[in-house]
Order: sequence, then C-alpha cells, then structure tokens
Amino acid sequence: MLALVPLTLLLASCGSAQDTLNPQGPQAKTIASEFWWMLGGCVFALAVITGLLVLAWVRRGSMGPGREPGERAGWIVIVVFGIGVMVVGLVVLFFVSDVHIMGQTEQPAAGSTKLTVRAIGHQWYWEFDYPGTKHAVTADEMHIPVRTPVLIEAQTTDVIHTVWVPQLNRKIDTIPGQNNEIELYADKVGRYRGQCNQYCGLQHAHMSFYVFADPPAKFEAWLRKQAQPAASPTGELARAGRNVFMTGACSACHTIRGTPAHGTVGPDLTHLASRTTLAGLTIPNRKGYLGGWILDSQHIKPGNQMPDINLDGPQLQALLAYLGGLK
Amino acid sequence: MTDYIFGGRREGEVPRTHEGRNPRDVSHLASQRLGVPVAWWGIAMLVASEATLMFTFIGTYYYLRSKTPVWPPVGDPEPHVVVPLILAGVLATTSLPMQLASMAARAGRLVATRRLIVLALIVQCGYISYEMWDYQHELQTTTPSHDAYESIYYVLLGADHGHVWIGILLNVWLLAKLGRGLTMYRLNATIAVTWYWHFVNLLTLFVIGTLTSATLL
Amino acid sequence: MATVELPARERVERLEQMWQGKPGILGWLTTTDHKKIGLLYFWTTLVFFAAGGAEALTMRTQLAHANNNVVGPATYDELFTMHGVTMIFFFIIPMTTGAFGNYLIPLLIGARDMAFPRMNALSYWIFLTSGLFLYIGFATGNGPNGAWFGFTPLTERAFSPTRAEDFYTLALIFNGISSSLGSANFIVTMFKLRAPGMSFNRMPTFCYAFLAASFGLLFALPVLTADCIYLYLDRIVGTHFFDPAHGGSVLLWQHLFWIFGHPEVYILIVPAFGIATSIIPAMTQRKLVAYPLVAIAELLVVFIGFGVWAHHMYTTGLPTIQVVFFGAATAMVVIPSSIQVFSWCMSMVTGRARFKTPLLFIAGFIWMFVNGGLTGIMFVSIPFDQQVHDTYFVIAHFHYIIFGAAVFPIFGGMYYWFPKVTGKLYLERPGQISFWLIFVGTNLLFFPMYIVGLLGMPRQIYTYPGNMGWTAYNLAETIGGFLTAFGILVCVGNLLVSYLRGLPSGPDPWLGPTLEWATSSPPPEYNFAVIPTVTSAYPNWDPEDREEDVRKLADGVMVLEEGHEQPVVTTADGNFSEVIEMPHSSPWPPTLGLCLGLVFTFLVLEKFFVAGIFGALCLLSLVGWHAKEPQEA
Repeated sequence: MLALVPLTLLLASCGSAQDTLNPQGPQAKTIASEFWWMLGGCVFALAVITGLLVLAWVRRGSMGPGREPGERAGWIVIVVFGIGVMVVGLVVLFFVSDVHIMGQTEQPAAGSTKLTVRAIGHQWYWEFDYPGTKHAVTADEMHIPVRTPVLIEAQTTDVIHTVWVPQLNRKIDTIPGQNNEIELYADKVGRYRGQCNQYCGLQHAHMSFYVFADPPAKFEAWLRKQAQPAASPTGELARAGRNVFMTGACSACHTIRGTPAHGTVGPDLTHLASRTTLAGLTIPNRKGYLGGWILDSQHIKPGNQMPDINLDGPQLQALLAYLGGLK
Repeated sequence: MTDYIFGGRREGEVPRTHEGRNPRDVSHLASQRLGVPVAWWGIAMLVASEATLMFTFIGTYYYLRSKTPVWPPVGDPEPHVVVPLILAGVLATTSLPMQLASMAARAGRLVATRRLIVLALIVQCGYISYEMWDYQHELQTTTPSHDAYESIYYVLLGADHGHVWIGILLNVWLLAKLGRGLTMYRLNATIAVTWYWHFVNLLTLFVIGTLTSATLL
Repeated sequence: MATVELPARERVERLEQMWQGKPGILGWLTTTDHKKIGLLYFWTTLVFFAAGGAEALTMRTQLAHANNNVVGPATYDELFTMHGVTMIFFFIIPMTTGAFGNYLIPLLIGARDMAFPRMNALSYWIFLTSGLFLYIGFATGNGPNGAWFGFTPLTERAFSPTRAEDFYTLALIFNGISSSLGSANFIVTMFKLRAPGMSFNRMPTFCYAFLAASFGLLFALPVLTADCIYLYLDRIVGTHFFDPAHGGSVLLWQHLFWIFGHPEVYILIVPAFGIATSIIPAMTQRKLVAYPLVAIAELLVVFIGFGVWAHHMYTTGLPTIQVVFFGAATAMVVIPSSIQVFSWCMSMVTGRARFKTPLLFIAGFIWMFVNGGLTGIMFVSIPFDQQVHDTYFVIAHFHYIIFGAAVFPIFGGMYYWFPKVTGKLYLERPGQISFWLIFVGTNLLFFPMYIVGLLGMPRQIYTYPGNMGWTAYNLAETIGGFLTAFGILVCVGNLLVSYLRGLPSGPDPWLGPTLEWATSSPPPEYNFAVIPTVTSAYPNWDPEDREEDVRKLADGVMVLEEGHEQPVVTTADGNFSEVIEMPHSSPWPPTLGLCLGLVFTFLVLEKFFVAGIFGALCLLSLVGWHAKEPQEA
C-alpha cells in the first residue's frame, strides 16, 4: 500500500518539461531506469522497517524492567539485515552505478562528440556560443542537431551556475577558472527545458533555457544564420530604432555584431528576433513583452543587471521595430 | 558500617586534591591520584581543536600549491629558510624547561618551577620579538592581498605567531600565580600550560617547515 | 530514599546549602548549574526554532502557487539562508548538545556538574550573543543571503557588496567557539566525571551518541572556522583564497565547507540517536539489543562521516577517481546507521512496547529516518546524485533526515524527560495528537518535495512558472508546513499546560534505566545526595545498587558534602582517582560572552582598534575568571 502512493503520484505527473523521469536522451534514460530500480529496493526496505514497527505495536504491552528477551534473534536480524543484506545491496549499487552507468554520464572522451557548444553562465542568463563557427553566439536558447553527441563546455563569467537539461543528461557546474564538460544527446527532435541549478544570486529562479534538438539540415541552416552579422534595418522606423539603440544606453551593455554595439554585460542581440523567449525563459519574445521588458525589466525580473530604460513612445516603437528585424 | 569499594577504592583512600595548598601537600596529593588531571584533558581538547584549525591552514597551503604550476608563484619573494628554521628549532627546545618545570612542580619544588618557566619565557619572548619584526618587515615588500600564495603565507605564519603569543601570556599568568605559592590548582595549570607549549613548539616546526618547503622542495 | 535518618538528613541539608545558587535573575546570569544552563539553552533555542520556522512558513507561503508575490527575491534569499543557518547552528545543535546534553549528561553519568562548569556557562552566553549578533544583522537589512553553504564567489565582496556575508562568516565563527567549548566540555565530563565504577562499557548509549557528536564538532568546526576566516579576509583585507585569477581556488571553499558540513549532518542526528536509545529501553522495559554494537556504530557513523564530504561536490567536475572514492565512502557510512535502525526495531519487537507519546515520536523518527536514509543511499549512485543534486529531491531527503531524524527525537525527548525536569506528568492524549499532527504534517510537507525534485524543480528559487507541473505539490507542501506548525504549537501548549496543571510525576514515572531516574524530579542542584554505585549500563535497573546508595547516605559515604565536591575517575576504567572542588556561580562567563560579542560587532563594522580593545577586555576577564582558585572558595 505504502509503496503505491508514491508510484501513483509519480506516474501521474510524468511529462513535465523538466521531468527527470521522462528522459529523452540515452544518459537520462539510464539514470531514470536506475532510479526505478533503486526505488523498488527502497520501497522494500521501508516496508520491512514499517513491518517491524507494526509488529512492535501489535506486541505492545508491559513487562518487568531490565530483561533481555530475544537478544539472540535481535543480533541475528541486525547482522543478517543490518549488515549482510545492506553490504551486498550497497556493493551491487556501487558497481552498477559508479562503475558501469557513470561511464556514460561522465565527461565524454576527446573526439567522441561531433559538435561543441560553450554554455557560459552569467548573472542571470545563459550565453551559448559555437566554437569553430564565425562567432555564432546566442542566449538562453541553444540549438543542437538531433541524434548527435554534442560536447557542452560549461563556463562562467561570474559566479557558479549549473547547466542542467534533466531530460537529456545529469548536470554540471560552471566553476570560475575551470572548464567542465558534459555530453548532450537528444533521441528525438524537440524542445527540452533546462535551468540553472546552483543558487547564483537574486534571479537564480529566472535562469532557464531551452535546448532545441533540430534535424541536422535545419540545425546547419540555423547555425549559418547565427554566424552572420546582424541584418541591416529596413524601413524608416527600424533605422530610427537602430539610432536609439546605438546612441542610448543599450549599446553599452549589448552586442549586435556588425554594428558599433559591443557591450558584454547583457546577452548578444544579433539575432534576437530568432529566439522564442526573453530573460531566461521569463517572458515570450513578442513585441508587447519586449517593450515592457525594455521599459520596466526590474519589475519582471527584480535585481537583474538591466536598468529600466526611459524612452518615449515613438522611441520605443522605433527600437522595437529595429529589434524585431534582427532575425 | 559496610566497607564500600567502588571504582577500585574506598572513599577514604582517595585524595581530596583541592586541599593541596603548599608544595609538600600538593606533591603528596598528586602522587595519590590515578591518571591525568581534568585540566590535562581540557588542554588536550583545546589542542585538538587548535591543531585541526592549523592543519586546515597547512592543508590549504598544499592544496593551493597543488593548483599552481610554480611555487612560490612568479613575482613572489622566496621565503627565508635558514633563520626561521633555526629559530623554530630554538623555540622547540623550550619544551625541555617547560617539561622540567612541570616535573619540579609535581615534586613540590616551587623555586625550580619558577626559574625553569622564566628560562623558557625568555627564549619564547626572544623568538616572538624577532618573528614579529620579520613579519612586519616582510609586509613592507609584499602583502597578503598580492596573491593566494601570500594570503595563505601570512595567515599561516600569523596564526602560528598567535599561538606563541597565547603561550607567552599563559606563562606570564602562570608565573604570577606561582609567585604566590604552589597549590594543586597551579600544579594542574603548570601541567596544562606545559602541554600547550609542547603543542605550540611542534606546531611551529610544522608551520615553518611548510613555509620554507616552498624553497627547499 | 523514603526514610531519611537524622544524620543523613543533616548531610542532605548541608549539600543543599552548599550547592544553592544565587536567587532571582542574578542566579540565572551567574549560574554554573548544568541544569539551569540546559534550561537556558532550551528556551533560547525554542525562540530560534520559532524564528527559523517562521522563515520556513514564509517561504512555503511564497511557493504555495506559481508566480506568487508574497516576498521578493531579495527577502526570499535572506529567508532561506537564515532558515538554514538558524535551524542548524541555532536550533538543533544547541538544542541537542546544549539543552539535552547539558541537562542530562551529568545526571546520566552520576556527576554533579560538567567538568568545566563556568566554561559551560560561557558556551551558553556565547551562543546567545552569537545568535543575537546574526539576527541583528538580519534586522538591520544585512541578513546573509548567500545560502547556508555560502558558496564563493557569490559571497565574495564583488557579488555581495553589503555587510550581509560578514555577518554570516563572523556569526559562524562566533557560534563555532560556543559549540567547540561545549563539545570539549562534554568529552572531558564523560571521560573524567563518571560515577566511580562506570567504566566505558557501562556508559549509557545516550552518552556514546553525545561523545560521538562532541568529537565530531571538535574536529569539524575548526575547518569551518578556517573557511570563514578566509572568506572574511577575502572580503575585508582583499586576500585571494577563493579568487582563481590570483592563484586561489573557488572549490577550496566547498571542500572545507563540506569537510565540516557532512560530519555536521551526523552531528545533528547522532544526539537524536542517543535520545532514541534512551527512550526505547525505558518504554519497552528491555535492554537495548546489541548494546556494544550500537555504541560502536554511534562513534563510527561520525568517524566515517568525515570521509564523505565530496559527495556534495559531484557536479563540480572533480576527477573521476576522487568522485568514485567518495561514492564508496558514502556507501560505507550506511552500515553503522542500519545497525542502529535494526537494533531499535528489534528492541521494540522483542520487548513490550508502551506506545506513549515519547515512543510514538521515536517510532515516527525511525520511519522518517529510514525514509530519508534510503533516498540518501540513492546518492551512492553518482550519476543519479548528479541528476537530482540541488533539486527539491535533495531538500526532501535532508529534511526527512533533519526534521525526521533530529527533530522528532527532540520532541520525543521533551515528552520523555518532561517529568524529570518539571516534576509533573504531561497530558498523554494531547501529546499523542501532537505527534500525529506533526507526523502527518511533515510527511505532507516533505514527501511531495521528492516528486517536484524529480520533476526538475531546483532549490532556492523564489518563484516558478505555472506550467511545470509543480504547483499542486507545492500547495500540498505548504499545507503540510502549516499543519506541522500547528502540531508543534499543540506540543508546546501541552507542555506549558502540563507544567502549570500537571499531576506530580514522582522521581521515576517510566521505570527508566539510567541514573537520572534515580534522583528526585526535578533533580536537586547537587543532582545526587550520594554519588551512585554503578555496576551495569542500566544502573537504575539494579535495585541492589540503589539500595546501597540509601545505606551509603546513612553511613555518610560518598555524600561529599564538605564543599562543591565531585569525584574524578580514570578515563577508561572508571577507577576512583580523586575528589575535586567544583567552581560555583561566576559573573565572568556572561561578561566574557558580552565582550566577545562586542569584538565581533566591531569586526563586522571594520573598527579593528575598538575590536582590539574589547579583545583585551576578554583577556582581562579571563584573568578575573581565574583569580579565585577552588581551594579559596
């Protein structure tokens, strides 16, 4: 009975976007299936202990103090279950998980991956760049080819963050002064949610990201596009918006490749319009949300590095037109 | 009346050690108690705790060293070797007069106890005077905020000096106490302070050994 | 001791006169009585428990549904940091070692006080001052917000420019002094002040548990102190311990923190094991199954606990060989715990259990501990640990351990020893109701955390989106949180009402096995009129020995009424070594505690000269402390 409660609860909830038990990559699948085995063992062990407690309750009563009935039986149970069974179980668990399974989830062997993505943690967004291309840099939305082993190099510019895409693989920290590596492999085309998993300050809660696993051809096209400099603004309004961007506060913190804007505080905006979300998956990338973000980002994500920008209506419309064109 | 024996003795056979107020009584009562006094365990606990702290500092030193290709890092002065090692050795010899002072106190020889502690104290003060001057001097060439090597260098050395200072203060206090005669309390204090000094002397050898190893090894 | 003959009564009166403390507030300030200090610890830690609980409930309210806005991120970060620091350093440790240990250990070993009574008082005053220090920081807007583990570089000045983290480092160092002094005191007390004849193999398992916890604290705290010194220096002086750009290492902080932090977990729960091993024999009337194995297991669990720290660091990219080593050590640490669990269960099965409130809490504790322990065993699997590390799965695991395995026995112990401390019986029915409220409440609070953790909810996030499938579980947890709080209020209310209205309990309502039940309730200031005779590990179940105590009182043997006298024994065998004079009431411990508090206050304000002046005052009060020797008393 007791065992059924957690099981039903767990099964009922499968399918959430960050579900470790709905794995979509080989590593996460192994870990998930190991979890189910371990859960089985734990349920059994808990049932044994619960049984003993119930037995004690059934045998409740009173007797004179200071006796030692059943001492021998007690020793036998302790030695057989408390030591014997536990040691066997732990040895099996240790070898299966820390020798066998760990071989798959460890840092991949050099040369075993087809593509490298650098995941660079910032307070509080993710920068993804693609070494080997011409400066393909994006933020909060990583694209990888499906059914391809991809090497993730986890790094940081400030504090410790954690790269974690639970449906694909275990997590890895970004440690200052250190390069940590992990493999991501998606079995199916799809969108997988990831989230920073190491407390990293005020907006730790809003430091999520997506991994898009695309068919190889689509991925190649996306990557080629991302490597190019920004599209020039078309139309009067967008050109005015470009002006607002370059002369105002924006360019001090953001980079738009192919323009004079080279700031490094905030995310690279070269292909902003090709992304689906903003601010670490906090809001969708739509015109209204983007406008709200520019004017009042401190309300949406309090404490983030971007100040509220004071723009009048026409300036904002122009800026949005320009940013909307950065496909 | 029943003959009560518990813990191996009768109540009458056990010394009421706090009654020792003069050297002869103290010596006599001390010979009747079994094992070490409570104060010895007290100082042992302090030493265990302090040793763990200092061991952590020393561990940090080697941890940082293992993460750095050249040690001391480029740009940091090499630590002095000869003088600190000799001085640490000299300091270590004060364990001898301290131990003798302990034994003299236990034998009820108050004057000898005081003289031996004064002898140790003179050497200890000489050591710390030179080391403090040297520490000050080194701070003028480079500071703990220069790099991690200098950070741990100054913290480790400073913490060791701190221990020597505490030992010196304890000895001064002990001499003041012993100036008014010997009691069981003061005998226990002498034993405890002596053990503290054994620890400080050993610690100094370890610390100076660690710091000079940057040049030697 | 029903019929006290005339000479015996005179001796007892003389003892009473000799050990009487000062009356009123001054008596509490200057007391060195371990029982009074234990009660001071008890009430103070309850206040901190309430603070930590209020912080937890605020967080749970914020997380009750998605995108909630009860508190902002800045407050939330302070709340979870303060909650962790408070519950660990200012509730559980001082509650178990401070309150339970202080009150009970001298009673259990047949002593009249701790080995260093004034140092014992000092531990309390430092603990109180350090708690006030931390909460003054919180109240002045400098509440630590770098999580209880304070990982660098987030807590370095570059990312935490306010004084918040200075309060954190200094409060931990400050509090560490208190715990170190306390644990040293416990060790020496248990080594030297046992009743003559109580050799190590006759020491109650409760004492073994506290011995293990004390050794753990003694060797773990200096590591934390060193770590906090580094962080303080990095922040104030500009050293580079954790700065990789200048040869430092970010992971140095984590290594040192967890070298302290994992033993700390066992330090939190081992005293609770001790409480369990006291309650089970009393409530089953059966000697503990496999006593020697349990005593050794209690020591081993802390010892092995020092070798598993890096299992908190599996995701930091440590080399595989190190990670695997720590995986194996993590597996090893399970064995001493499972030995104890089966010993408790088999004692209850083979004895005849009386399921009164204390035993209910212990049964609940066993269930919660096994639950949390089993998910702990899952962390032997490094890949699984790396998957759920820092998610709510881990939160569920360690709350099952810390609330289930440390706090449940605390409640059980409160009920169990309530008659001893107050001389009154508690109300049984409300007691059982409080147990079921807390048991159901905590399971509703913590079990769903396992599930949201597996569903990918990270810890320490102040809000979460509504489409993640986490909301319902979080709401259930919040309801469980308030239910638990209600259960705790029922428990505390029961004890208060019982204190005022309870029936007299007599010295030994449970027929308890250990020496605290051999004296009156509440115990007199001198604890025992006669230092008790001990010939087994369950001395109160040896009626001949207790009868001998009565005869000894009549004969005037081992009454030791000439002063504040206390027998001292040899460490291992309990051979009678000497009789010493104990110090009694001193104004110096609170004075020194206050001076030390001012030292830390001025360190946080970076007024080093003033801090130095108060440091000198600390030394002067130490001189005053030692001015009067025992024979002059």
